[in-house]
Amino acid sequence: MKVTYNWLKEFVDIKIPAKELADKLTMAGLEVVSLEEKAGDFVLEIEITSNRPDWLSVLGVAREVAAITRRELKAKNPKPETKIAKGNLRIEIENKKDCFLYTARIIRGIKVGPSPEWLRKRLELVGCRSVNNIVDITNYALLESGEPLHAFDLDKLNPEKIVVRRAKAGEKIITLDGQARNLNNNVLVIADKAKAVAIAGVMGGQETEVTLDTRNILLEAAVFDPIVVRRCRQALGLQSESSYRFERGVDLGMVEQTSLRAAQLIREYCFTQGVFFNSSGLAKCKERSVKLDTARAAEVLGVTIAPAKIKQALSRLGFAIKQKAKNILDVGVPSFRQDVKLEVDLIEELARIFGYERIPVSLPAVKPQVTANAKRALTSAIKEILVGLGLSEVITYSLTDKLTLNSLGFGLGVQPIEILNPLSQEQEVLRPTLIPGLGRAVSLNFNQKQEYVAIFEVSNIFLGENKPQEELTLGIALSGTKSFLLEQGLVKDEAGFLNLKGIVETIFARLGISGYTLNNQGSSAEIRIQNEKVGLMLSLSPQSLNKLNIKNKNVFMLELSLDKILSFTRRDKKFIPLPRYPGIARDISFILKEGFSVQAILVLLKETGRPLLSEVRITDYYKGRQIPVGYRGLTLSCFYSSNERTLAENEIQPTHELLCAELVRKFGVKLR
Amino acid sequence: MDIKAVSAQIDADIQEINSLEALEQFRLKYLGRKGLVAELTSAIPGLPQEERARFGQEVNALKNKLLSLIAEKQKTLAGSSGQAAQAAGDLGMPGISQSLGQLHPLTQVTDEICAIFNRMGFSIVEGPEIESEYNNFTGLNIPLEHPSREAFDTFYLKNYTKMLLRSHTSPVQVRQMKEQKPPLAIVVPGRVYRPDAVDAAHSFMFHQIEGFMVDTGIKFSDLKGILEMFAQAVFGNDIKMRFRPHFFPFTEPSAEVDISCIICKGKGCSVCGRKGWLEILGSGMIHPNVFKHVGIDADKYTGFAFGLGIERIAMLKYGINDIRLFFENDLRFLRQF
Repeated sequence: MKVTYNWLKEFVDIKIPAKELADKLTMAGLEVVSLEEKAGDFVLEIEITSNRPDWLSVLGVAREVAAITRRELKAKNPKPETKIAKGNLRIEIENKKDCFLYTARIIRGIKVGPSPEWLRKRLELVGCRSVNNIVDITNYALLESGEPLHAFDLDKLNPEKIVVRRAKAGEKIITLDGQARNLNNNVLVIADKAKAVAIAGVMGGQETEVTLDTRNILLEAAVFDPIVVRRCRQALGLQSESSYRFERGVDLGMVEQTSLRAAQLIREYCFTQGVFFNSSGLAKCKERSVKLDTARAAEVLGVTIAPAKIKQALSRLGFAIKQKAKNILDVGVPSFRQDVKLEVDLIEELARIFGYERIPVSLPAVKPQVTANAKRALTSAIKEILVGLGLSEVITYSLTDKLTLNSLGFGLGVQPIEILNPLSQEQEVLRPTLIPGLGRAVSLNFNQKQEYVAIFEVSNIFLGENKPQEELTLGIALSGTKSFLLEQGLVKDEAGFLNLKGIVETIFARLGISGYTLNNQGSSAEIRIQNEKVGLMLSLSPQSLNKLNIKNKNVFMLELSLDKILSFTRRDKKFIPLPRYPGIARDISFILKEGFSVQAILVLLKETGRPLLSEVRITDYYKGRQIPVGYRGLTLSCFYSSNERTLAENEIQPTHELLCAELVRKFGVKLR
Repeated sequence: MDIKAVSAQIDADIQEINSLEALEQFRLKYLGRKGLVAELTSAIPGLPQEERARFGQEVNALKNKLLSLIAEKQKTLAGSSGQAAQAAGDLGMPGISQSLGQLHPLTQVTDEICAIFNRMGFSIVEGPEIESEYNNFTGLNIPLEHPSREAFDTFYLKNYTKMLLRSHTSPVQVRQMKEQKPPLAIVVPGRVYRPDAVDAAHSFMFHQIEGFMVDTGIKFSDLKGILEMFAQAVFGNDIKMRFRPHFFPFTEPSAEVDISCIICKGKGCSVCGRKGWLEILGSGMIHPNVFKHVGIDADKYTGFAFGLGIERIAMLKYGINDIRLFFENDLRFLRQF
């Protein structure tokens, strides 16, 4: 909202320059976002918080200025009118909950024309376009007091009665902005005997607009229910200075006064022959008071403010103070301060006027709880491992569109949780998988000419079986070729399933997870721990790669449920004594027909080699010229050791020979 | 000549040598053009036929022994810069190492902030992203049909009534205060969602950190103290801070917190909009109505709460000018952190 320095000065003696005033207002909670010197005045643009509709007026801001600069607010009440005639207009309010108070002032014999220079200038300074003297005066009074007014051309109304009612289904109105509006029962309208003539609290109708030919007007000053106005505004997509204030709450106590102020300005600048006044509804709101314990204020703020200063600050802000007991004040709340309901609300007022900057700095005694957050610890351990393995963390959107999910083949079988009010298609559903987001990140990076992409994300996926569920999930994507420049020259490593497996092994080893299996299902493999499916490794299908615009590359992905693996982690370590006696290593080289699983070989050897065989590892693997087609060459390293003695060659010989024989017998290997 | 005696003499001589000059003298004495080995070699042709081969071999062995002794001595005398150390070669060649990945800048900032509060004794807790309308609004004293909700435009779920994507991390306050009894000192990092059109400054998904403390005797001045320590830890000790009154439905008194602009040091620049101050967080004393909703006695306990946007802090800290960069995941961006 905009106010000017000179306008404020009409309500309070300001002895400080505009810049200093702006700083003081900012530090009191009226954030001045711009200060501009214009036409011999200063325009302050202030951001008003939604709890303070009273600040949406020059008067309200002036009251604040008076409090923070310790001056008195100049009363500017218009002289009450003597001999005011009651007109024969009837005002009917259909439901008093929709409209608390409606007043109508009939002003006859006016002359519509341009506004006086000072009025036009002042309105323009605060960003309000000048229309004509009548409209300008209603706007001026609104800006000054915060109470919205509306002027109807009386001769275009049926003068018998004004009805405040809900619109009928199918009812229509053309608003002042020239738009035809279809109304319904949620919209509150001002109507005459025959038809709706304005949308209550939002905007008047074009038909009853004040024009240069208007001779007589009906000046409306009313208070409508904030929620009703809010719904109208939302339903019609129509916001105005009036609706903005009504939604936040208009002071019942200012209605008559503002109407009177406008009438007097009209009398002064537009001629007037006769004025009549009618009203319906509450004239005043109930008086309230809130107890303030000044000792409590000191406890909450951490500073003691002198009682005299407390009383002075509150009374300048318009509160009525009564001392009830030592430290106890009974604080009468003015009608424009509907936001003040509790003692803390008053404490905030004190702190604001005293100045937040003058409240000291202290440190509380924290009583820490040392229970560790297991899930967070797991997440951060995994992230550290992955970063150590050279992967970059990404963060992708949790919301996505159904089309992408379906076209990538991930919407199938899962009904993703839908968003009721997405702004765009990309926000239609909550993702049930991390894969599409990672796929897009891979694609983007290949477009940026990356040769190799290794990324991961840890975040929730969303599943909605019976109730919406979140599952903390690790997603990994590997693709492209990683180059290493070593002493022997360039070495290239093309990403593949075994790279994913290596990552899984590293993570599981670090987390103490054992007994997991990878179940090969062709272009994907399930990861299971003790028969529970915890994750999936997969290679994206050609169709998916095509959708993602990834060419000539395979993309390998992993999805692992961190919620599921959490219970399998064993992070307590136990020391195993180092071997006391040296062992003997023996290699077995052989060629193996394709189709046999290396896993099965390792299992067999470990079984057969007991008790002397303590470890067996694959140390070499090759395919090529020396190996017949359909075979692969493997070298296993067997390590024999004992806890009781140093083994001799001839002791292990029988075991080693047995292993070789078993390999031949069970797997048909050819030893080399 | 007795080769054995010569060999013994050599062993004795070499022991005495303790300089490179002396070693050179030694070499000349035995291996020089007129040295002992040359002399012995020239004597071979004069020997009887049957002795020549054996004697020749002995002389050869002696020569080899001398060469290896000299080499060894040279190494000892030259110290570590001896011949055996490899030359550094062309160090313009790329180093050989495993390349590390990196955490997302938002994770790095989150971790840093959590660690600061962790050191001050705060626990780190997380909460669900799908929330009830109650926890997101009502429990936090945000009336459903009130303009104060405008700041919290929210994504609702379609097939679940009154369920939404949390628009701030504050619902975790409600959850934690219901679950645990004071004293509480907790920080909550997490993702939040608001239906904002995406541009350089707005994103429909972003991250916040919420912090709160509840105990007897917690004061507004404590809030100032804790946040001042936090800001200095993140932005440096010479940072200035100011608390401005503001309005949040869930705190009273409420304050917005500014730090002196880290770019212009408070003089005014384009980053701070010529104000010299940067708004970094919202805070205040927990509203008694919030305590009422969670069943904490507001007469006995007080507390403070604060919330800040991680993207905002990361953008200030690293000088990033477009929030969309965080979610594009361009490796050229990510690798800078």
